[in-house]
Amino acid sequence: MNIKSWFRPFEKISRRHAALISGFWLVLLISFWFIGTSGAKKLFPPPALVWQGFKDLYNEGLVVHIFSSLWLCLQATTISIVFSLFFAYLSPIPAFKPVVKMLSRMRYLPLTGITFYLAMIVRDARTMQIWVLVVFMSLYFITSLMSVFKDIPQQELDHARSLQCSRWEVLWEVVIKGRLDYVIEVLRQNLAITWMMLVTVESILVAAGGLGVLIKNSDKFMNHGRIVALQIVILLVGLGIDWFLDFSRRTLFRYSKL
Amino acid sequence: MTYHETSDSILTVENLSVDYDGKKIIQNINFDEKDITRPNKIQGQSIAFVGRSGRGKSTLFRCLSGLEKPKTGKVLLPDMHKHQGEAYPPMKEVGEGDVGFVDQKYTLFRHKTVYQALQFAMRKQKLEKSEKHDKIMVHLRDWGLETVKDQYPNELSGGQRQRTAILEQVLSHTNYIIMDEPFSGLDVGNINNVKSAFKLINESHELNTVIFCTHDIELAVALAESLYVLGYPTLENGRLEPIGTLIKKYDLKSMGLAWHDQLTNRHYDVVEQVKQSILES
Repeated sequence: MNIKSWFRPFEKISRRHAALISGFWLVLLISFWFIGTSGAKKLFPPPALVWQGFKDLYNEGLVVHIFSSLWLCLQATTISIVFSLFFAYLSPIPAFKPVVKMLSRMRYLPLTGITFYLAMIVRDARTMQIWVLVVFMSLYFITSLMSVFKDIPQQELDHARSLQCSRWEVLWEVVIKGRLDYVIEVLRQNLAITWMMLVTVESILVAAGGLGVLIKNSDKFMNHGRIVALQIVILLVGLGIDWFLDFSRRTLFRYSKL
Repeated sequence: MTYHETSDSILTVENLSVDYDGKKIIQNINFDEKDITRPNKIQGQSIAFVGRSGRGKSTLFRCLSGLEKPKTGKVLLPDMHKHQGEAYPPMKEVGEGDVGFVDQKYTLFRHKTVYQALQFAMRKQKLEKSEKHDKIMVHLRDWGLETVKDQYPNELSGGQRQRTAILEQVLSHTNYIIMDEPFSGLDVGNINNVKSAFKLINESHELNTVIFCTHDIELAVALAESLYVLGYPTLENGRLEPIGTLIKKYDLKSMGLAWHDQLTNRHYDVVEQVKQSILES
């Protein structure tokens, strides 16, 4: 084992060595957590407190809250991806391009203003939660999808045209069918932001539960063990979704090498 | 080599010019290629364009394939949809899809396997599904692609990609195929594959025409029946006017240099002349 090579820029190392390096950092982090929180003064809650927080949360129905958050996320994501794809697929048509561009620019609008108007339209708080997320996510999805479509090389469009495709067929074959795998990738990249937004959005309706409600309550009572436990849970669920989406893309689209 | 030049045109370009954002790229492009016949042989044609980089070859090709609208002038081809009996089809202006186009990267649909891509290329042909399948399978065998028929472009080697891209255009039933630098970045084996593809295309229909550009002058002289040098014209003050146009035509048929299996000294003389024309423009 040549450890020196681990410190050489652009060095290719074996998978076993890569796992060893990751393992080393993980052990270092956990050790730092144990040692750093063992003294009288603590900047961070010790592992025992976090574990206790986790047990309390589990007993209070953590799993139900996780599913509540996932269900909210799924509903909002489904609506926003349909909405975003509809507009993004219109972007190659000159007559609609300004509308799609304007929607993309609206991501700079503060959410507070939007929630005020949404509150006047929707009937209940759960719908409000969904639509706040839909509005927020869609603007980012549209921006990312437009960027994906803009990056389609001219050669791909010309190739379809040279095979007697009408302009609508070019849109269908090259942009819609030819970039389906990118939709999952865009979803994957933007879902990280959405997942973080959950905390804010779920605080709109406490009765509906969810990870956001749990973390808000824990924060109110300064229960740091629970807060860190929840943060770890949110991180792990987020990473799980990320892995699932990446796995789905690679499984459903064999040609996808992003 | 005996041949007969008919009075019918296979490709006519009249006063073609293209501007991008007010900047002229090519201008005054005029040429007319006639149909030729050879005794006891089906003979399509290959037309080569050579010239230094940036002289407008790709722009000209986009116009010839109907992908780009010229600022002035027109490109005329025989209208195969109005082809009836023995009569030569009337000429029409080129439109999108009338001419197959193979770019130097051999672009394919990234979401279609080789078989699906060929099936798509044949979608407008009035054949039964089984007939299309049989035709695709015959071509896959002839072009050495049978074993990769269910693979996607990202799973193909460079040579397989290139053959698929050409075959797609062959099967889409266009008589005209434009290839933008088909030999660029290919190894000796793949160059031979493309040369064989030229032969297969030319010998399968009387009106099949391959139009290509290359920086390999020997290959251009070896494969083409007509060779055009595209470059900058020399002004009266001796300077070059930076707008691409046709500088010179070499009719390799009438020079007795077309359809040879091996290059002769006369071919090499022409190669030198072509190189000189390119350097001067």
